[in-house]
Amino acid sequence: MINFILNGDPVSVEDADDTPLLWIVRDHFKLKGSKFGCGAGLCGACSMLVNGASARTCILPVSAVEGAAVTTIEGLGTPDNLHPVQKAWVEANVPQCGYCQPGQIISASALLKENPDPTDDEIDVAMSGNICRCGTYKRIKQAIKDAAASITVHARSEPESSNDGRL
Amino acid sequence: MTIADHISRRKLLIAAGVVGGGLVVGVNLSRDRETNLPDAVVDGALVPSAFLQVRPDSTIHFYVPSREMGQGVWTGLTTLIAEELSTPPERISIDHSPVHKDFVNPEMGIEVTAGSTAMKAFYRPIRQTAANLRELLRKAASIDLDIDLSAVQLTDGKIRALDRDHEFGAFVKRASSIELIQDAPLKAQSEFVYIGKHNARLDALAKATGTAEFGIDVDIPGMRKAVIKRCPVFGGAPTYGNEATVRSMKGVEAIEKLDHGVAVVADTYWNARRAADALKINWEKPFLSHLDTADLTHEMAMALKKKKGKKGEKRGKGARALKRAEKTYAATYHFPYLAHAMMEPLNCAARIENGKCDIWVGIQSNQIARDCAARYSGLPKENVRVHPTFLGGGFGRRAYIDNVAETVQLAAATGLPVQVMWSREDDIQHDYYRPASVVKTTAGVNESGEISAWLAERAGANIRPYLTDLVIDAVTAGAVPLSVADWASKRLYGVFENIVVDPTSTEGLVEDYDFPNMEVRHVSVDAGQAVGFWRSVGHSSNAFAKETLVDEIAIDLGIDPVDMRLRNAQKNPRLKAVVELAAAKSGWRRPPPAGRYRGFAVHNTYGTRVAQVAEISVEDGLISVRRVICAVDCGVVVNPDIVRAQMESGIIFGITAALYGKIDFDNGAVVQSNFHDYPVLRINESPEIEVHLIESDDEPSGVGEPGLPPIAPAIANAVFAATGERLRTLPLEIRG
Repeated sequence: MINFILNGDPVSVEDADDTPLLWIVRDHFKLKGSKFGCGAGLCGACSMLVNGASARTCILPVSAVEGAAVTTIEGLGTPDNLHPVQKAWVEANVPQCGYCQPGQIISASALLKENPDPTDDEIDVAMSGNICRCGTYKRIKQAIKDAAASITVHARSEPESSNDGRL
Repeated sequence: MTIADHISRRKLLIAAGVVGGGLVVGVNLSRDRETNLPDAVVDGALVPSAFLQVRPDSTIHFYVPSREMGQGVWTGLTTLIAEELSTPPERISIDHSPVHKDFVNPEMGIEVTAGSTAMKAFYRPIRQTAANLRELLRKAASIDLDIDLSAVQLTDGKIRALDRDHEFGAFVKRASSIELIQDAPLKAQSEFVYIGKHNARLDALAKATGTAEFGIDVDIPGMRKAVIKRCPVFGGAPTYGNEATVRSMKGVEAIEKLDHGVAVVADTYWNARRAADALKINWEKPFLSHLDTADLTHEMAMALKKKKGKKGEKRGKGARALKRAEKTYAATYHFPYLAHAMMEPLNCAARIENGKCDIWVGIQSNQIARDCAARYSGLPKENVRVHPTFLGGGFGRRAYIDNVAETVQLAAATGLPVQVMWSREDDIQHDYYRPASVVKTTAGVNESGEISAWLAERAGANIRPYLTDLVIDAVTAGAVPLSVADWASKRLYGVFENIVVDPTSTEGLVEDYDFPNMEVRHVSVDAGQAVGFWRSVGHSSNAFAKETLVDEIAIDLGIDPVDMRLRNAQKNPRLKAVVELAAAKSGWRRPPPAGRYRGFAVHNTYGTRVAQVAEISVEDGLISVRRVICAVDCGVVVNPDIVRAQMESGIIFGITAALYGKIDFDNGAVVQSNFHDYPVLRINESPEIEVHLIESDDEPSGVGEPGLPPIAPAIANAVFAATGERLRTLPLEIRG
């Protein structure tokens, strides 16, 4: 049996063997926001936060997250309670087909948690594992900068805030 | 009399989309009580047409007739409804339209989202149906409130009468009881509140929160997952293998031999995947086992030289005018096969029970998907229901129905509800590829750079027969015996080889400049490998053969490449205008920054004119695209930011093709398999992009594809500026 924390809740799976985390989350826990893109860790569509870092879950056996905290796009924010990165994404009109965007947003939120004010080059490095075939890269960069600015402003004005400014 | 006469070839050609542009069918905007309207009609709703419902709770429901695959059509068409209904776009609930004859794309003759046609096709019909609803609601309000019609207006999603606001729902009952209005006046462009101004994508929130449903996300009770081990060579079939051993693997419930592979059906995707990986299958060696990219390239080049082919378009004296030209230039270009590689690999779910077939799929035509499911389930079309989803990218790949056919076959054979999931390897190695081609362009020019004669010649496979082969099989289900359908569809290959030139093979070679004399010649060289629509189709390669030769001539004659293009676009003011705008915004007349080199290209794709300046740098023989300035004229701009986004999208897609895109065959099998050897552009390689829009009152044209064709020639022209080397083979590779 493998135990881990999924979007804040303790969960366990039995008999999962080497099943990648992606398929446990999608098929067992029925959270469909994280996507399958390549099955080889090359495109980032399956990205989830594992202990705060963006991980390629299509090649990560579920056994590797024993005891870890896993956050999917559903755990980051919801339509009624958007994470600042999601809010910036909507405002910059980033998504096109939208399929890669949960993975992009996960990677962006991991970047901003580590580095609240990334340069263009730092954004390139952090986001180069996430492919977007619609070519939304320019807007992804913009949205990350917008989110960084909103988080900084928010942190200054409302240091006690528990939700909107969270990462 | 031939069988083709019996089954009305023209009708089939229309159904299969073979007869495109110019065919315009009417859109039914009246309520048709004889056919089923969208599934979710609620009691008491006002249903003025298949597109719209106003419910008693005042919600407005729009059944968007085009599939959303990233191009922004949900937002675009909803903006039109919003405009004529004077209602904020965010207030309108949007649903995918189900299969219904009223959702036929009037440009294509069937319900299909392709060819950048949605906005062009629906700009007036969608506004008309909303305007009709507006007038119906006004009339109903004037009756119920017993006031003059002129005292009732729609503003900001409300009905305003006698200084009071009323909800739409208040008049739904009355409006349902009076005669529909068919010819309400449309708003003038000067009155637009949302068209040309609304920018926010209406699907952005769902897509930023992981709540947007794609085909792969569909989960129906009891659904099994299937993975198909496919013959590495197109057209091959399984003979025997170790199915029996694999059948006993964990979670495996069924193993089925299909025409093109062996399917493993299991309880979960991972169990199906593991079992499919353990399959060892022997394949019947298909005809295509000889296919090799180098041989094919040689064969196309030789065919272009030695075979007569078919004559296509011609103006004036055609190629004969080359003889009278002061100077002639000619160049031959080589284009590779390309895969689509949309982010969501193909998938489809199907359930057949109690004489009904349900399918769940994100696809460019629900209608063709339904017909295909009818054929493979053996059920009448009316017993098939398609449940549409968002498409995780389409780019032409989801115009095909191979995923539907195999899923329904599998559901029928096993009696299980099943979802077939493609891997990335399946996707890259079993595509309907953008055809490889060899194109030669020849120009006759005078010293001042006016092109007096233009000859464009292409050798390669044609796309349309491969689509019609699939589609005719599907749409004729139940109408003619399968053998007749097969016979008819196979004849189409011959039609395009011997009777007419497939317009998708030669589009973009001759349309843009004045060319008083021009001619097209086409030689069909079809290896038998499936080829298909790929974002911007023929333009994706043909723009390159046009725009690099024009550049080459300009430089040889000492004429600025922008001036060269302007000089040859005297009769095309819209093309000229985008050239001038891109030149001005890029600072073309001033030298580029140190270490940067610029190239120019312009192209008209499906009525949308796009000019681009690519600014590149070259280091150690590697090309980096640093900045792109783009000018676009797509007629009336409905959502400016979506037009900009689509240009950005086409540019990035086009840079991938220009720098990396290549599918090779070795003994009939595709060499590339995933993003490591079929790379696509990543964020660290993506340029700054600026998009400038031409203000226009021309009818709108599409934006999903036209951003792509100019970028590769613009880059190649910049490479010439940087290195003096003319690259005529894609992907671009500096040899030094």
